[in-house]
Amino acid sequence: MRRNAPALVAVAVAALFFALLPFGLSDYHRGLAASVAVYLIAILGLNVLTGYTGQISIGHGAFMAIGGYTTAIMSHYHNTNLILTLPLAFVITFGCGVLVGLPALRLSGVYLALATFALAVSIPQLPLKFSKFTGGSAGISASKSVSNSWLYGVSWSTAAIAFLFTWLVLRGRTGRAFRAIRDSEVAATSSGVTLAIYKTLAFGVSAALAGVAGSLFVLATNGFAQPNEFSVTLSLKILVGAAVAGLGSLWGVLLGAAFIALLPTLSASAPLIGSAHGQDVVFGLFVIVVMILLPTGVAGLIPRLRRLRVKA
Amino acid sequence: MRRKGRFMAVLAGLALFASVAATAAFGAHRATPGVTSTTITIGGTFPLTGVASLYKTIPAAEGAYFAYVNAHGGVNGRTINFKVLDDAYDPSKTVPLTQQLVEQDGIFADFGSLGTAPNLSIWSYLNQHKVPQVLIATGDSYWGFSAKKYPWTIGYQPDYPGEGKVYGKYIAANMPNAKIGVLYQNDAFGKNYFAGLRVGLGAKKSQIVSSQSYDPTQTSLVQQILALKAAGADTFAIFALPSQAITALVTATKVGWTPTTFLGNVSADPVFMKIAAQNGANVDGVISTSYLVDPTLASQANLPGVALAKSIISTYAPPLLPSLNAADANVVYGLGAAWTFVYALKKAGKNPTRAGLMKALKSMKNVKDPFLYPGITMNTSAKDNFPTEQEILVKWAGGATGDWAAFGKLYNNVR
Amino acid sequence: MVELARKLPLPQRRFPASPVLLLLAAACIFLTVESLRSTIFAQLTVAGVATGVVYGSLALALVLIYRATEVINFAQGEMAMAMVYVAYQLTLWGLAYWEAFFLTLAIAFVFGVVTQRVFIRPVQGRSVIAVVIVTVGLFILIDGLVEWKWSANQRFMQAPFGNKIYHLGNVPIARQDLGTIVITLISVSALWAFFRFTKLGLGMRAGALRPAAARLVGVRTNALLAVGWGLAAVLGAVAGLMTEPAEYVLQPTLMQPVLLYAFAAAVLGGLESPGGALVGGIALGIFLNLLPSHSWGFVTSALELPVAFAALLVVLLIKPTGLFGHRTVRKV
Repeated sequence: MRRNAPALVAVAVAALFFALLPFGLSDYHRGLAASVAVYLIAILGLNVLTGYTGQISIGHGAFMAIGGYTTAIMSHYHNTNLILTLPLAFVITFGCGVLVGLPALRLSGVYLALATFALAVSIPQLPLKFSKFTGGSAGISASKSVSNSWLYGVSWSTAAIAFLFTWLVLRGRTGRAFRAIRDSEVAATSSGVTLAIYKTLAFGVSAALAGVAGSLFVLATNGFAQPNEFSVTLSLKILVGAAVAGLGSLWGVLLGAAFIALLPTLSASAPLIGSAHGQDVVFGLFVIVVMILLPTGVAGLIPRLRRLRVKA
Repeated sequence: MRRKGRFMAVLAGLALFASVAATAAFGAHRATPGVTSTTITIGGTFPLTGVASLYKTIPAAEGAYFAYVNAHGGVNGRTINFKVLDDAYDPSKTVPLTQQLVEQDGIFADFGSLGTAPNLSIWSYLNQHKVPQVLIATGDSYWGFSAKKYPWTIGYQPDYPGEGKVYGKYIAANMPNAKIGVLYQNDAFGKNYFAGLRVGLGAKKSQIVSSQSYDPTQTSLVQQILALKAAGADTFAIFALPSQAITALVTATKVGWTPTTFLGNVSADPVFMKIAAQNGANVDGVISTSYLVDPTLASQANLPGVALAKSIISTYAPPLLPSLNAADANVVYGLGAAWTFVYALKKAGKNPTRAGLMKALKSMKNVKDPFLYPGITMNTSAKDNFPTEQEILVKWAGGATGDWAAFGKLYNNVR
Repeated sequence: MVELARKLPLPQRRFPASPVLLLLAAACIFLTVESLRSTIFAQLTVAGVATGVVYGSLALALVLIYRATEVINFAQGEMAMAMVYVAYQLTLWGLAYWEAFFLTLAIAFVFGVVTQRVFIRPVQGRSVIAVVIVTVGLFILIDGLVEWKWSANQRFMQAPFGNKIYHLGNVPIARQDLGTIVITLISVSALWAFFRFTKLGLGMRAGALRPAAARLVGVRTNALLAVGWGLAAVLGAVAGLMTEPAEYVLQPTLMQPVLLYAFAAAVLGGLESPGGALVGGIALGIFLNLLPSHSWGFVTSALELPVAFAALLVVLLIKPTGLFGHRTVRKV
């Protein structure tokens, strides 16, 4: 219990910080800060799957699309309370995640990467086919839009809940089973872990978090869902964020989310890299360098530094 | 005990968040944002990069026109400061960038922002904040139809259904035995064009023998073209974005089909026609519409708008000269939209307000924009929110080095 | 040393399972009969083969790297796209098309080798996830660099085969399509001959199949991996250069759809099997071209990608190693 004290203090400080932060921010910056929370939830989801269970996914943008369209469609047709659409997106994308997880039982490594990539490409096509219902390429709008303060409050509260939820899932039996699968599927099976259950569960939880992030993502886009928003680049961005954060680390997620959410805005006024393609160059180079030099992500630096200090 | 304490801490944190959401204060509204005694700040979002980056000459030309106005004393002593941001045609980028323009940069109006989906994503936001969203670069008809619900939004160019109607009317009047095949993009953009065509054809719409759709990610249109050819069509209407329009023109020639072709204005930039011709498409005789002057045509060389376009671009945006000389219609389009904005700003008075700007844009009477085709005037009212409603048909001649030439009469009230 | 490599036990040539062969034979007969019955069907089929061989050759590039290193290069399409821009630049500088074509292939080889040495080798041997993420990083990086240098504007590049149309009976066949098929088949056969008959090629096969044993007999597996990446980049460049004239315009998104279909083709054929990748590509090209007119109106254009991938998922579930792959026993 005692060894948890620093972590507890860290949580309390973080909670206080994020609770007070909006008072010091302009409305515009509150929107920006909210987008960090949105990416945080998505990266958290990917991390459960890729970092903790060793199942790669290049298709989390697809789950965000499903969550986002859930919010827009429910609000558009049924005027559902926007907050209520979040748990709804959670449930629906959990189901979708389990469905995707089923074939994933038979796929591993690169085959899984390809299958999830296929998902990322195909899902945004569906609104174009069923355009009567989903608005097609003109998109679909929630019946009302929200203020940046609302968005900040809801996104960060949701992020806190998602964080707590993930932490609870990962620290118990389930988390141990996930990690056992990551380290060796055969060994995990022989020590009594039912692969089918835990793999699909990991997919479900991971997709559900991405789905909630997708809902908030659409709310942050003035409640407007449109296929262009969920292009393959979104999936790649989340993967980049997770890689920068350090796969298998919960604390790095915040850094990864801040990186992908803020880089475009912060660098927009910078010379040379200010343009969108300049940002692509930075994104691409950064993720490669991190993967080569810091296999455990930026978050992996902290224990490393600590070890250095101990040695000194 | 400890566990309970931890839980309480989390609860307290959540409660704090909730209070934040409830009590956050909004900044009070200033008199007229973006207007100082010497400047007026406006801004817009454009695809400077990505799939639609070809349109980046539009904001560049608009910037050139504002630079020209500023160099000649500005509008009522104020210079125009035009901020251009890159959304790469992705609505999820348009939204934060527009918030940045409105809340950080404090713009007076969102001017000329490009694309239907990007504009839809900021439609309600700008109207809620009573920020003018004016002369936006999209030919959809939402903007004109929804003026009651969205009074702060107005378009500029003739809309797609109206243009489709022009083709329909022309075919009905001049090609009584036409068998029509239609290729359209499988979304609101393509379907609106198609709907306009049917309205224009009137009783003759039964002469549409086949219609085929495609999806924007598609790279080959062979099957659609073959189906249209097989249906016996001798008249071909293409309502497509540029890449697919080029593919359609080339494919039609390749499969040995030689219909009379009508091409939606969106893809009729000479740049695309030349690419199609270089790839072997038979583009001579293709018919489209225009509403702008064409500085490369000898027949229009004496128009005041043409001389003005050449002098503004060569003085204030020399890098755009090659585009202008290659008959890139987007350059003239940008000049025309910027001209209209300055016109409305002048009308809005010595101390312009946002409401004053909207009023000026919604009460235009026979306004002659020098960059529009001679004879076209802009008319709007509280009820009519479509500024440009006349078009002229143009026909391509000269293959890979050719250009459009206007023919026939002006089509009025295409709406 | 290479002599020794030649003596290494390479697996016997295995023929794909007979049901698969029967299926292919039936498909060929069906296509021929229908083509004779309907001109449109014949035209669609020929056009399908032309796009199919391009999918197949990019798929082959993917397979080449997969066989050597068990990873998928997600940047393969973007590398090819960058090479098309290089060729475009060379023609702007005044080179004739075919001069630019072959010079680009040489540049592509160097580009592939350098990419492997600089970006891939440091993470080689770490998890599949790490390598995949690096290739995703390369994807984004190359995209950014190309837009930086050439912008995203649509550009026109000289066409290699002209715009002539031949007529076979009633069926018009574009010279462009024929040229694409011929060039792709030549490059694929050249590659096959390289692996079958040259010492370097044999060494590479040995290195891919039995890395430890190959290293023991003195094959420099690391150097050979780089050569493998170089060859894959060359194949990709051929695919890219054949895609450009089919799309009529050059823009940075050129290879993204092609990459997706190449993935599907590679999986369809089994990631292990070069022949399978090519057959998979051609099958996919024909299938996608015929689908909309033969699906009772359900598969409109928006559904082509999802349908292609649904088919892919079904194949993976029924036969996870693809139509031409064979099972390997998973080690503990």
